[in-house]
Amino acid sequence: MLSFLALLLFNAFIASASASSDYSEHLLLRPLPQKALLASFNFRSNESSTAFEQQNFRYFPRSLGQILQHAGTKELHLRFSLGRWDAENWGQRPWNGAREGGTGVELWAWVEAQNEEEAFARWLTLTNALSGLFCASLNFIDATKTIRPVMSFPPEGDHQNPSQLHLLHGTLPHEVVCTENLTPFLKLLPCKGKAGISSLLDGHKLFDASWQTMAVDVRPVCEEDGECTLETEQTVDMVLDIDRSKRPRDNPIPRPLPIEEIECDTSKGYSAQDTCYPIHKTSEPAFSLSGIYGRSLKGACPLTDESSENSYTVCINTPPERIIHVNTTGQYAESTSENHAMRCYKLPVGADFDLVLPEQQMTTRLVLAQPPLYAARHINGHGQEHGSVQAVITNPSSTDAVEFVYLESLPWFMKPYIHTLQARVNSSPENPIRETYYRPAVDRQRGTHLELRMVIPAASTLTLTYDFEKAILRYTEYPPDANRGFDAAPAIIRLISPESLDKKGIYLRTTSLLLPLPTPDFSMPYNVIILTSTVIALGFGNIFNLLVRRFVGADEVQGMGPGGLKGIIRGKVERLKARFLTKKKTA
Amino acid sequence: MPPAEGADVPPTPNSNPNIPPITKSAITAMRHPPPESKESLRLRRYVILSFWAVAIFIGLPIWWKTTAIYRAELPLQIMTDWADGKICRPVFPLRISVEAPTLQLQDAHNLIRATQHALDDLNEFSAHHLRLMLADAPLSAANASQQVVISGGPGDRSDDEDIALSIRLIPIETGTAPRSILQPYAPTLDVYYSPNQIPPPSSTGSPLATFIAHELHKIFAEEQTLLAHLLSTTSNVYTAKMKSLSSETVTELERQSTRTLKYAPTYHLTFSLFSPTFMPSSWEIEAALQQYLSPLLETFSSISNFTVDTQVQLYATFSPSIRQPEYDENLKAWTLRKEDLSGFINAAEWPLSPSIGVSPTVNFILYVPDQSQSPLLVKESGANSWLVPQWGGVLILNPAVTGQSPMTLTKDALTPAMHTFSEQLLSLLGLPQSPASLPLRLSTLKRVRAASLLFSASSTLGALARLTKALKSIPIPDNVAKSVDTAIAHLQQSCSDLRDGRFQGALENARIAETAAEKAFFEKSMVGQVYFPDEHKVAVYLPLLGPVAVPLIMAGMKELKSLRGR
Repeated sequence: MLSFLALLLFNAFIASASASSDYSEHLLLRPLPQKALLASFNFRSNESSTAFEQQNFRYFPRSLGQILQHAGTKELHLRFSLGRWDAENWGQRPWNGAREGGTGVELWAWVEAQNEEEAFARWLTLTNALSGLFCASLNFIDATKTIRPVMSFPPEGDHQNPSQLHLLHGTLPHEVVCTENLTPFLKLLPCKGKAGISSLLDGHKLFDASWQTMAVDVRPVCEEDGECTLETEQTVDMVLDIDRSKRPRDNPIPRPLPIEEIECDTSKGYSAQDTCYPIHKTSEPAFSLSGIYGRSLKGACPLTDESSENSYTVCINTPPERIIHVNTTGQYAESTSENHAMRCYKLPVGADFDLVLPEQQMTTRLVLAQPPLYAARHINGHGQEHGSVQAVITNPSSTDAVEFVYLESLPWFMKPYIHTLQARVNSSPENPIRETYYRPAVDRQRGTHLELRMVIPAASTLTLTYDFEKAILRYTEYPPDANRGFDAAPAIIRLISPESLDKKGIYLRTTSLLLPLPTPDFSMPYNVIILTSTVIALGFGNIFNLLVRRFVGADEVQGMGPGGLKGIIRGKVERLKARFLTKKKTA
Repeated sequence: MPPAEGADVPPTPNSNPNIPPITKSAITAMRHPPPESKESLRLRRYVILSFWAVAIFIGLPIWWKTTAIYRAELPLQIMTDWADGKICRPVFPLRISVEAPTLQLQDAHNLIRATQHALDDLNEFSAHHLRLMLADAPLSAANASQQVVISGGPGDRSDDEDIALSIRLIPIETGTAPRSILQPYAPTLDVYYSPNQIPPPSSTGSPLATFIAHELHKIFAEEQTLLAHLLSTTSNVYTAKMKSLSSETVTELERQSTRTLKYAPTYHLTFSLFSPTFMPSSWEIEAALQQYLSPLLETFSSISNFTVDTQVQLYATFSPSIRQPEYDENLKAWTLRKEDLSGFINAAEWPLSPSIGVSPTVNFILYVPDQSQSPLLVKESGANSWLVPQWGGVLILNPAVTGQSPMTLTKDALTPAMHTFSEQLLSLLGLPQSPASLPLRLSTLKRVRAASLLFSASSTLGALARLTKALKSIPIPDNVAKSVDTAIAHLQQSCSDLRDGRFQGALENARIAETAAEKAFFEKSMVGQVYFPDEHKVAVYLPLLGPVAVPLIMAGMKELKSLRGR
C-alpha cells in the first residue's frame, strides 16, 4: 500500500503545485518487477486565456494554439500509444489511466459549434491540422471513425457555455507511433528537449519500450473569481525493459556473452566445460539514467519555479534500502517523503545530472497498487463470414462492487448483432447491464458506437460477448496490406464508482483487435475484363459467322482437295519438305 | 535428315515446284457448289452492313460519349487578349484639386490652365497624367471630406476619395515665394505665393504655374517610375511608349519588387522572440505592439488587413550549416558573415510555420544572443537587422548593458526593435520611399497594387488559356468557366475604374479578379486525370475489341473485294 499512497500523493502534489506557476515538469521513476522501469514524464504549462485569445503565446505553443482557435476547440486530448500495460505484473496504471490512449492514435475534443454539422466540420479541420503538426495520419479520422460518446468522457476543464460544446472522439488503431511523432511533441515544450527532463527523451529508446503512451491535453481551468487559464499538459509514460534499454546504440543486437562472463548455477551437474545453467537472478538490476536513455539529463529547465516544492523535478520511488548515487557537478537538493520510499531531486541548472543505481539484493519490495479492474478482449470464431467478440472484465476487489462504462467504437465493416449481446457475471445470475447506448453503423458512413453501463460485484468476473458479421469491402476500399487484417479500436472502460479524486477520472483500455476480412485477388479486374471479353468475343464470332458465312459441302469448296483440311495440311508439308530438300541438294 | 554427300535423290513429282500435284488431282475431283442466289448475297450484305452500322452509329457514339472528358467552354480568345494587354490599357488619371480661396475665379482658372499646360509639357508618361481642377468652395482641409468638386467636364462628379492631392494656394506678403510644403499626414500641398505672381489673363506661362507644375512632377516622379516599370515588365505592348528608365533605376526597382510580398487582402504578422538560452523568457510585446504597430496597421486598413500573433521560443540554436559567430577584435563584437545571414533562420528547428488560413504570414524575428556571444553583429556592415525578401525581418537585440540579461524584455527595450520592424514591414509591403506625405505614399501603393493585380490576373487567365489549348486531356469543370467569367467581368470593371480614377474600386475589383483567376487556374479536379496511361486503355479495350473487330473487318473486306471483282 506504501507506493499506492505515494502515487496518489504524488499526483495530488503535482496538481496543487502546478496551479501557482506557469510551467512545471516532473519525472517519476519506479522500478517494476521483472526488470522493468516505469518512467512518467509530465510537462505542464499555463497561459492566461486573454493572452491566448490575443495570440500572444509564451509557454503555449503557437502552432497548437492557432489550430485550436481555428477549429473552435475548447478542450483537446490527443494520445499516441504503443504496447500493452501488463496489469498483472505492473499494477495500477500511471495517472489512473487518464493520460493513456488505446494502441495507435486516439483523439477526442470538445468543439464549440452551433449545431452538429458545424461541429463535425470543425472536427475535420482540427484533425487535418493536427495531422500536419504531429506528422500522424490523423486526417484519416473521418465520419466512419468518429463517434460522439455519451457517458465515457465528461469534460475535464471548466467551460463557460457547455451547451454549445460537442464532444467528438476518433481513433486510428492501425497507426504506428514512431519518432516522427515525438519530434513535434518535444517542439511544443518550452525547453524543447534541450534542458530539463525532456532532454532524456529519445525516439530510439522511447519507441523501443514495452509500453509507452504520449499525451497532449489542453483544458481551460477557471478560478473562483472567473480568472481563466488554459492548461497544457504533455505526458509521456513508458515501461522500459532495463536490460534491453542498456544495450548500446552501436551494438543493439543481443549477442550471447562469452561463457566466462556468465554466472553459472554451480549446484547443477555439468557434463562438459562449455555448458552453463545461468543463475536466475533475484536481485534488482543496476541502471543509470544515462545508461538506459542513451543520453544525459542536461540539468533543470530554468523556467520552472525555483523556490517552491515544484522544483523537485525528478522523483524515484524505491524501497528506502535501495542505494542511489547522484552523479552531477552542479548544485542539487534531495528531499524524501512517504517513509523514504519517494526520493525527489532538485536538478542543477546547466550541469548534467545522473542517477546511478547499483545492482542490489533487496529484502523489501514495493507493494504495487492493485488496479480496480482487469480487462481483456479478443475475437472468437472462424471463417470469413462471422465471428464473435468476448471481453472479460475482472473485479479483483474483495469488498467493493465496481460500476463502469464500457465503450466500443467498431468500424462499419464489423457489424455486431446486438441481439446476441450477453453479459454474465460468474457470481450472480443478475444481468450486470444497467444502461445501453447503441448507435448502429451505416455502411461507409459511420461506425458502430456502443456504450454500456455495467456493474461487477466484488471478486467476480464479467463476460461480455456478442457476434458480428464481416462485411465484404469494395475493391478500392482495401488497404495495400489487406491480408494483414483490419484493426478494431480498443474498448475504453471508465470507472464511475469508486469515483476518481480529481476531474480526470479512472480509465483503462483493452488491446486493439486484429480482424481478418475476406480479401480478394487484387488482379481480379483485369481477369474479369479478359474473361468476359473472351466469352463475348466467342459468342459474337459464332453468331456473326453463322449469319454471314455460306455453308457448302466439303468437296464443293474451291481450293480444298478431297482430303479436306487434312489434305491441305499434308500438301503444304510436302511442298515445304521438297523445297528444303532441293535447297540441300544445290548446296 | 541430312542427305549423304553426293547421294542421288530420286526425283519425285513433288520436287517439281511448277506443277503442284494437288492441283492436278483437285481439278479432277472438283465439284462446284450451287450458285448463290441473288437474294442470299443481298441478305449477307445487309447483315454485314447492319453490323457495321450498329458499330459505327451506336457503338462509337456511346463509347465517345462515355469516355469523353468534360470541357466547359472558355472564352480562350478573350483570355489571351487580356494576357496580351489588348483589351485594357491601364491609365492613371489623377485628379488634383486646387483651392484658391483668395483668388478671383478668372485668375484661378487662368493659373490652372497655365499649370496644366506646363505639367503636360513635363510629363513623358502618357498613361499617368495629372489633371488639375478648381475646388468649388473655399473650404478648409479639415472638412474637405464632404467636399464635392466640379471638374472640367459637365456632370462629371466624383467623390473626394478620388482626389489624389489638393493644392492650397496661400498668399503671403513676406518671405521667399513661391515655396511649397507637403503635409506629412494629409494629401495636401501648401503653396505660398506672393500676390504679384498671379499670371495675367492673357499670358500663357508664369513662374508660379511652372513652379507648381515642377513640384507636382517631383512628387509623382517615383510613382511614375514605379508604374512605368510595372507596365514595361508585365506587358510588351507598352514598352515602346515608355519613357526610358535608366538601368540603375530598373535594378533598384527590380530589387524592390523581389522583396515585396505578393499582394493579399489579409496578412498574418508573427513576432517571435528567439533566444539560444532560457533568457529572456518573456517580453512586453502586447504594450509595444499597441504603441508602435497598431497606428501603422490602421493606416493600411484601406489596402490590407492584418492579424498579429506573437511567440517566445527558447533554446533556439543556429542551424549547423552556417558558421558559428566569430569574435572580431576591431568591432569588439561577435560577428556573423553576410553570406550566412540567409541560413540564420534555422527553418528545421524554429517553429515558424505559416499561420492557418489562406493569408500569407510575415515573420519578424527578435533574436537575443547568448551572454557569451553578445554583442552579435553582421561582419561586413556592423548592422544588427536585415530583411528577408517576401518573408519578413530579423533583428538581433543585443542587451544594452553587458551583464545579466533580464528575464523580461521591457517595452522600452523593445522600442528600437519595433521601429525596425515597422520599417521592414513598410518595405515588405512595397510602400514607395517618397514623397514625404504618408497618405500620398499609400495612395501610390494602392494604384501600383491595383495595376499589378490587374496584370497578374490577366496573365493567370492567359496561362489558363494556354494550358487549355496545350493539354487536350484535362477536364474543365463548369466552375472554372464560372470563375473565368467572374475574373473577366471584374477585370473589365477594374480597368474602367482605373480609367475613371476610382482607384479604391479598381483595387477591389482587381483583387476579386485575381482571386477568381487563381481559383480557376488551381482547380483541383483539373489536375486529377491529366495522366491516364495508354497502356491502361489498351489493356482494357484490346481483349474485347480485338476478337470482335477481326471477324467484322474480315467479313467487310471480303465483301468489298467481291463487290470490286464483279
